[in-house]
Amino acid sequence: MDMSTDNLDIIQFFVSMLIVGIGVALLATGMFTAYFGAGKSQKIGFALLFFGIITIVLVYLMTKGGVNAIPNQFDETMFMNALISGVSALSGMIIGMFLILFVLMKVDTVDDLEDLDLEDLEDLDLDEELKKLEEELNQADDDEEKENNGNDKPEDEE
Amino acid sequence: MNTTDLIMSMGSVGFMLSMFFMGLLISYYGSSKTRTVGFVFLIMGAALAFAISPDPGLNYFADTSFMNGMLAFVGGMIGGIIGIVVFLVAIIKS
Repeated sequence: MDMSTDNLDIIQFFVSMLIVGIGVALLATGMFTAYFGAGKSQKIGFALLFFGIITIVLVYLMTKGGVNAIPNQFDETMFMNALISGVSALSGMIIGMFLILFVLMKVDTVDDLEDLDLEDLEDLDLDEELKKLEEELNQADDDEEKENNGNDKPEDEE
Repeated sequence: MNTTDLIMSMGSVGFMLSMFFMGLLISYYGSSKTRTVGFVFLIMGAALAFAISPDPGLNYFADTSFMNGMLAFVGGMIGGIIGIVVFLVAIIKS
């Protein structure tokens, strides 16, 4: 594998996609803020949208030959390869994420519901359970009172 | 490397990245059931990474174009992050 950094392709691929990435992010966030924002933030959204459009149009013109600002960085064939690489990797990541979410949703919901024993819940008599709890609480209170009385007696005798 | 090879190789890299890192997260933070699934994802991601890693035996991925493709992907991601940082700074400062 050719890992030498004196190969100009490396700079061409990285720099061109860096600028495209900035342009796309500005465009997306600008659209979002311009639509949902109000007042000052909406104006910022329009500014971001404007700069995003300008960046992408400049990249397009530099690639297609309209503007020769950085001629070495935007060769059309290499730029298309870089764009295809970036979009493919992003698509692969999205597919992987969807697969993971799909599997996780299946595992969590279906298995947990199967584990629940609904027959036990149906057999429960809530009134009886409440009575039992009340009796236990009353017993605990009585025991505490007896203990307190027992502790008070010696002091009274003195 | 032609366009189809580029799409296949870079798509595999993206798939491997999400599998590996999501598997790592799920196997660490997941509950008893999801943890098992997380380990499966982690193993799948590691196996894919091993297959993709630049090995002279696997000419499909051991190419300058593949390295350039990786650089393009990293460049695009960094560019996207810079764009979002610019957006956040603009909103916070306003």
